[in-house]
Amino acid sequence: MPLPAQLDRTIVTGTIMASAIGLPYIVVLSVLGLMGRISGAEVVWWLLAGLILVGAIGSVTSNNVVHAALSLVVAAMGVAGMFLLLASEFLALVQVLVYGGGVAILLLFALMMTNASDDPIVVDGSQKPFGFGVALIMGIVMVSATVGASWDATITTVVSFRDIGTRLYRDYGVPFEVASLVLLVALVGAIAIARRDTEESDAA
Amino acid sequence: MISLNHYLALSGVLFALGFYGVLVRRSAILILIAVELMLAAVSINFVAFASYLDAKLFTGVIFAIFVITIAAAEVGLALGIVLRIYRERSTANVDEASTLKW
Repeated sequence: MPLPAQLDRTIVTGTIMASAIGLPYIVVLSVLGLMGRISGAEVVWWLLAGLILVGAIGSVTSNNVVHAALSLVVAAMGVAGMFLLLASEFLALVQVLVYGGGVAILLLFALMMTNASDDPIVVDGSQKPFGFGVALIMGIVMVSATVGASWDATITTVVSFRDIGTRLYRDYGVPFEVASLVLLVALVGAIAIARRDTEESDAA
Repeated sequence: MISLNHYLALSGVLFALGFYGVLVRRSAILILIAVELMLAAVSINFVAFASYLDAKLFTGVIFAIFVITIAAAEVGLALGIVLRIYRERSTANVDEASTLKW
């Protein structure tokens, strides 16, 4: 069956995969939640975890660089949701602003600047199986180390903006200033590195 | 109830995914994206420990703020370098930009 022109293969396969994996996932979670097997917070947690993992897998496996950058935004928004669940609303807001606003735009901007459309993009190297093995072992080690651990842990109440401000400016004043200096140097450095040297090109 | 281990396992998986991306990707910008994933995993870990074990001082939250700050600075600077390399050698492939001096 010929597809309409505006539906390219990525969109079709993406939609099919999202419905095949996402819908059962959401249905199972809602049923479990409605039956009272898991709490509402846990339903939200598993939804966010699924969102983060889908975004992360998309951004490291996608062959289209723009899709990879947009998947990173999906993962970052999921992480912001996790921060909300962890009672750090300030961090959730910062995450949305910095990643959704700043980093994503920067990445897309750089992608547009560096990808001439006739330039074939080499996405993955020949070390792919090796890299997959190493990352798999690393993931297994880290997850297995955390699964069995028992902590004397209780979730805190919401960390308020006022407390964060007090702690940041009273106890971490110097690191805060140093961080602003780092940002300034990064800004100046990025401009100095990326700008065209007009004098050199004139001389050449 | 969501336990601390939930968050630690999630951040472990996320970190491994970012690690896979760093190892496998050859385009400098895609490597940066994978690094961002790893940093997000670390932030989740910091904030989870702060919320569960350090409710009074929440040092991990402060640390996560700094992690996000440094991540933003790093992306800006690294993209400047990538643009420069692209302009000099018309490639963003890290395998082809392997010499330090031309």
